[in-house]
Amino acid sequence: MAQIEQSDKGGKKKKGAQKKMQIHVDFTPMVDMNMLLITFFMLCTTMIKSQTLSIALPSNEKLEESQQNKTKQSEAITILLDSERDDKGHVVAETDEATGAVYPKHIVYYYEGKPFDVPADQIDKDGDGYVDNDGTLKLKEARFRGNTAGQLNGIRAILHERNTQVLAKVDALKEQRKNGEITEEEFQDQAKAIRNDSTLTRPVVIIKAGPNASFENVISALDEMQINQISRYQIDNINGTDSLLILSYRHAHPGK
Amino acid sequence: MGKPKVKRKSTLIDMTAMSDVTVLLLTFFMLTSTFLAKEPATVITPSSVSTIKVPTEDLVTILVSGAETKSDGTINRAVEGKVFIGITGDSDSLYSSENVRKDLLIEASRLYNERHPNAPVNFTASQVSAFSRLGMFGLPMKDLPAFLDMPTTEQDKVMKEFNPNVVGIPINDNRDINTPNEFQIWMDALQRVAQNYRNNGRTKDNGDTAEPTNKLYDAIKRSGEGIAVKADKDTPFSTIHTVMDNLQTMKLNKFSLMTALKSENE
Repeated sequence: MAQIEQSDKGGKKKKGAQKKMQIHVDFTPMVDMNMLLITFFMLCTTMIKSQTLSIALPSNEKLEESQQNKTKQSEAITILLDSERDDKGHVVAETDEATGAVYPKHIVYYYEGKPFDVPADQIDKDGDGYVDNDGTLKLKEARFRGNTAGQLNGIRAILHERNTQVLAKVDALKEQRKNGEITEEEFQDQAKAIRNDSTLTRPVVIIKAGPNASFENVISALDEMQINQISRYQIDNINGTDSLLILSYRHAHPGK
Repeated sequence: MGKPKVKRKSTLIDMTAMSDVTVLLLTFFMLTSTFLAKEPATVITPSSVSTIKVPTEDLVTILVSGAETKSDGTINRAVEGKVFIGITGDSDSLYSSENVRKDLLIEASRLYNERHPNAPVNFTASQVSAFSRLGMFGLPMKDLPAFLDMPTTEQDKVMKEFNPNVVGIPINDNRDINTPNEFQIWMDALQRVAQNYRNNGRTKDNGDTAEPTNKLYDAIKRSGEGIAVKADKDTPFSTIHTVMDNLQTMKLNKFSLMTALKSENE
């Protein structure tokens, strides 16, 4: 392991001269051990730190009716989330026809304003227990599809369209940030001010998750709010009317 | 003609340089590593575009276990929705993880005994110190003393078995703050501990009139960054909604959900 070599070239040496000694220490076992330790630390470390998505729920104290903020019907969009699961309980995967990418099958149903535009006694005129599909049922279906080559897809395009005023201003702001005219902090502050600017037409999104909807599905919906700069959204419990809407939709569009 | 002399070359390679490099790498990894906390259940968090980092200090993690997929592909739903709490304190030694956990256990057991005067649960000093070493806990209060008396290997065994009737902090969809369930008792205790820290705590530099502050208090009560709900992406949202409703009942309306990063295009 450690060797002391005497250089002996056979030549004559002066008397009294010190013998030159070369010391070789073999570092191979040391390197071996270090490598093992490095492997251990590499495997134990979490290099990728988790992110968080912060949400604020309203206080659940009962409010007087006069104190409640009423949402304008023209601004409201209700999103009903559902995930299709197989008989074992796994979320089903589906292939997107346009891109060929595989996504978990998270279905987004949505309607604008009130669930029905007609009085409650006229929603089922043919009496089959489902809401009639002659325009009475306003529910539509979409998916989370992100963007392909700058093109917005799925529910993102629909929400984007409802919030164009805010998004146009934020995009202009993003341009300024890109050109270095404003700092990141200024950008955040100003973007927040735009998002909460009540003079602009902004949607109010109500997110309701069905019993099958997975956590991922709800997070995707919250993401869409962030991407589309929607500041007013809430998570609500699904109710009987919503379930009826989904059942009626499935009845009218079987096998999809 | 004499034979040409074949010079014998030494095969020794100087490993010193290699050793230097490995030691440097080792140092780097040792300094940057944060160990994976021992968690009773493995969950795969969903992806989000949010880029806010999880704080490393003053963090209360609420872990909701996901369903277990067995080898034959069937899903065991019995182990789903079990709740665990993990506490991380300050770098300030006064509010270190160990101290916060100790104070939390004492406060929680006091609140629990107020609710259950017929079956009080009391902890010995050694049990409290054993609790302060737990990164994450999730057992009904009545089972905690016996669990804390076990050696660490035994504790791990209990958590690994993951008997759904044994593990998990009891939780239901109670919305009445006056009849808290055990999860709500823990959350109440947490708020009281943070409030105490704030009341006795460090004051701002700008004089005595300034409001007392405490980082833990701010994290859980003000910014909401100090409470993170961690759950599996395939867990039904209704299960997580129960946890969120419980937090809401305890007036912890702001909190965060743990996610992994993804790009906006996905």
